[in-house]
Amino acid sequence: MSIRRCAQTLASFAAAALLGAGAGAGADGKAPPAIDLRIRNHLFEPSELVIPAHTKVRLRVHNLDDTPEEFESWELNREKVILGGQTTVIFVGPLSPGEYPFFGEFNPKTAQGKLIAE
Amino acid sequence: MLIDSVVIVLREVLEAALLVSVLLAATRKLATPGPSLGLAAGLGIGGAWLFGAAMRPISGWFDGVGLEVVNSLLQLAIYIAIVAVIGLLGAGAGTGARRAGAALPWAMVAAVSLAIVREGAEILLYFSGFLHRIGATADVLAGAVLGLGVGFSTGALFYYLLIALPPRRALRVAVGLLILVGAGMCAQAVKLLIQADWLPAQQPLWDTSRWLPEQSLPGQLLYALIGYEATPTPLQVILYLASAAIALAVFAIATRSSVSEA
Repeated sequence: MSIRRCAQTLASFAAAALLGAGAGAGADGKAPPAIDLRIRNHLFEPSELVIPAHTKVRLRVHNLDDTPEEFESWELNREKVILGGQTTVIFVGPLSPGEYPFFGEFNPKTAQGKLIAE
Repeated sequence: MLIDSVVIVLREVLEAALLVSVLLAATRKLATPGPSLGLAAGLGIGGAWLFGAAMRPISGWFDGVGLEVVNSLLQLAIYIAIVAVIGLLGAGAGTGARRAGAALPWAMVAAVSLAIVREGAEILLYFSGFLHRIGATADVLAGAVLGLGVGFSTGALFYYLLIALPPRRALRVAVGLLILVGAGMCAQAVKLLIQADWLPAQQPLWDTSRWLPEQSLPGQLLYALIGYEATPTPLQVILYLASAAIALAVFAIATRSSVSEA
């Protein structure tokens, strides 16, 4: 591929992404709804969270243990450390309808949960 | 407990181990001084400890997304250090290592120590959770040693694979890998800023999670090596390509200008 072709492809790609990004920002002009999730005894409470599909949500994760945990999800592309006794914010979505498992990386045997977008 | 600890440590160590092996192989092939690994490890572990200690206040910055912002800045700094290494390697390749000179090992120390800060902080935090649990510490430490061992062995294997190549090709492969590692850092920084809602969320551009899941062993290796992700958003893909193009251009310009001077 010539350099010019390469640059043209890149440029059109960039334009498409910027347009997509602009549309996304316009769609959620109001503050995303907040959803609470707790970590207690290395378990997620509730272990199943239902959120609206195609909507960005503000996941508030409260770690009630005194040990750190890492919220992690391959399906959601999310990863964040939450220190003991701390509350943090993770933005999720907009998601297509479906199930999105997540887990606590520091205690993966017990800390398992899923997000259900519908 | 043991296997969790192996997985966590290995995941964090793999990226740094691969980066170090590529840097060492490149400097060996150029016959130029490599980075001081002791210094890089010292700076990195010290920085990781500081980062871990300051994580509570940092988490609260910017309405609760301080960790994402600081981590993405670290990724960006690693990318800049890697681009500097690539430029100096290019200059060294043209002049037979004369021009790469004194700055190269320092750029390498910067890249490696920053990578250790980011990943080491997470390992230290993980351990901090077990310090007070009686009986757990031995298991976790054994797992950590195994994880470190597997990570370092993978790095060593990679180093010898690169060393076995003829010099010109080895340098090209090393620079190619550095470009991809650097681009992967930029894509990860974008992912963090999307998580923080600083950059717009988008539908993934593609989904290869059925064929090559990120959590699989090859997926993890590719993640460490080229920043592989099964469901990247368009913005991530564009910044990945753009940052790779910038790094490649820096290498090409450095090589050309040093050849014309030589």
